[in-house]
Amino acid sequence: MSMLRTLIPFDIAGGMALTGKYFGKVFFSANRKKIRTQLKHFTQEYPEVKVNLAPRYRGRLTLLKDEQGEIKCVCCLACEKICPTEVITIEKGKKEGRKMPFPVRYDFEMERCIFCEFCVESCGFDSIILNHQFELATYNREDFSIGMEGAGQNMFIPSPVGRHSVAED
Amino acid sequence: MPTQAIPMTLTQTLIMGVIQILAVLIVIFIIVPLTTFAERKVIGYIQVRLGATRLAGGHVGITGPMNRIMWGMGKVPMLSILRGLPIFIADALKLITKEDIIPAKADRGVFTLAPIISVMAAFGVFACVAYYPGVMFYMPKSWPVIGGLPFQGFITDVNVGLLFILGLASVGVYGIVLGAWASNSKYPLLGSLRSAAQIVSYEVPLTLSLLVPVLLSGSLSFKDMSVALSTGKDLNPLAIIPLFIGFFVYLTCGFAETNRVPFDLAEAETELVAGFHTEYSGMKFGFFYLAEYANMIVVSSLATAFFLGGHYLLPFGLQRFIPATMPIIGGPSFFFFFAKILCILFVFLWVRATLPRYRYDQLMDVGWKYLIPLTLVNLFLAAIIRFAF
Repeated sequence: MSMLRTLIPFDIAGGMALTGKYFGKVFFSANRKKIRTQLKHFTQEYPEVKVNLAPRYRGRLTLLKDEQGEIKCVCCLACEKICPTEVITIEKGKKEGRKMPFPVRYDFEMERCIFCEFCVESCGFDSIILNHQFELATYNREDFSIGMEGAGQNMFIPSPVGRHSVAED
Repeated sequence: MPTQAIPMTLTQTLIMGVIQILAVLIVIFIIVPLTTFAERKVIGYIQVRLGATRLAGGHVGITGPMNRIMWGMGKVPMLSILRGLPIFIADALKLITKEDIIPAKADRGVFTLAPIISVMAAFGVFACVAYYPGVMFYMPKSWPVIGGLPFQGFITDVNVGLLFILGLASVGVYGIVLGAWASNSKYPLLGSLRSAAQIVSYEVPLTLSLLVPVLLSGSLSFKDMSVALSTGKDLNPLAIIPLFIGFFVYLTCGFAETNRVPFDLAEAETELVAGFHTEYSGMKFGFFYLAEYANMIVVSSLATAFFLGGHYLLPFGLQRFIPATMPIIGGPSFFFFFAKILCILFVFLWVRATLPRYRYDQLMDVGWKYLIPLTLVNLFLAAIIRFAF
């Protein structure tokens, strides 16, 4: 029987058929821009084409607001306590017309953050998320310290993303 | 060469010979880098990724200034538009410009000679390969000396062309063994010994499988064989059976002869560092590389000419069902030959992406226990079909 299998290589033919099938699938979909949504290959052509991130991708920490524009955070300090690298600093405060405590300061030191998502898991009020941002490199160290104030760099909106460029020095 | 009626002087013969050799060499030097590029792409596609998609991003080197400007403008450099195709130029430039290191204890003479032997054996074979059975075109009348002379589809038409091809192709193993021995290193030596054993073993079924076309066509000249086998005028209809079996046996042995996957024991990366060319770098390595791909083209040419119908459309002598008076598909064409070569080169890459490497004893088993008996039976079958019916 093994003699027959060597002489008539069904296994080899099966393997070739499988790889040929995948070749055909990728070959006919790879370079067509119109069907970008149904691509068969896993390569991400990042700078030219937007990256398809997984739904649970862990990007930068972001504070959320509710429908009235109120900060959802109630300063329970769960995230601050659970953070392994201690990058979150919260200062508790009061605000008129709001029963729960209000974060006067919410500082996030991104340079030491390990993006473990413990803070989001520990939050009982769903007031923070990790967004889908990964182009977080900056030229200055100060840009990694993110607070509630600041021009383009605060806890509520995504970080400003530079074009994918190199240093012009 | 002057097989045609036009008489040629010695000067004309020499000049036409040089022109034809240059034409073949240029075609090879175009196909080989494109094959390496296709190898990246095909294996990439089969592994559900994209292969090489760009040649961009370098801040130094030849394309550096242009890339810096394009990145500065916020754009991805221009060369990436061609989907990585310029990589084959970059590959060649890298091989040429890289430092050529010769190990201190290497035998310098033999170390230099080995890649030359390899590449000569691989390229010399093309002298007898016929790309078109006859005159492809005539040189323009207005040209001096060679005006009006025929440009043949082959460099020479030796009447024992197949013997020449097989003999010269076997010389290639000397390049591997000598280069490995001269490197004065253990991994190359192990790789080359494996390679020598493998090539010598597989030479037998390769030649036996090529005897089937010889027997059926009754000739040894490349051109006559390919024409007789593809048109199938004098061929028994049953001859398709030994030709079909012979094709697969020949292709298997061709993989072994060119040291390609799944028979690439000579350069098994996981066991021997890089096999026989571990100590080689720069253009000497490039010559080995070139020889391997040129050998692939030779194997493809032979398989095309003797089994797949050569310069005609249909393989295995099925061309006899198409009348020769049909406009395009009835006659021979250079493009049919070329397309079939490209198809077999694709099969080389396809197999490389699919099959794992054979173990050494399995390799010898397949060669001696299965392929040689199979080819002998096949040859016997062909002999019966040729002489009994």
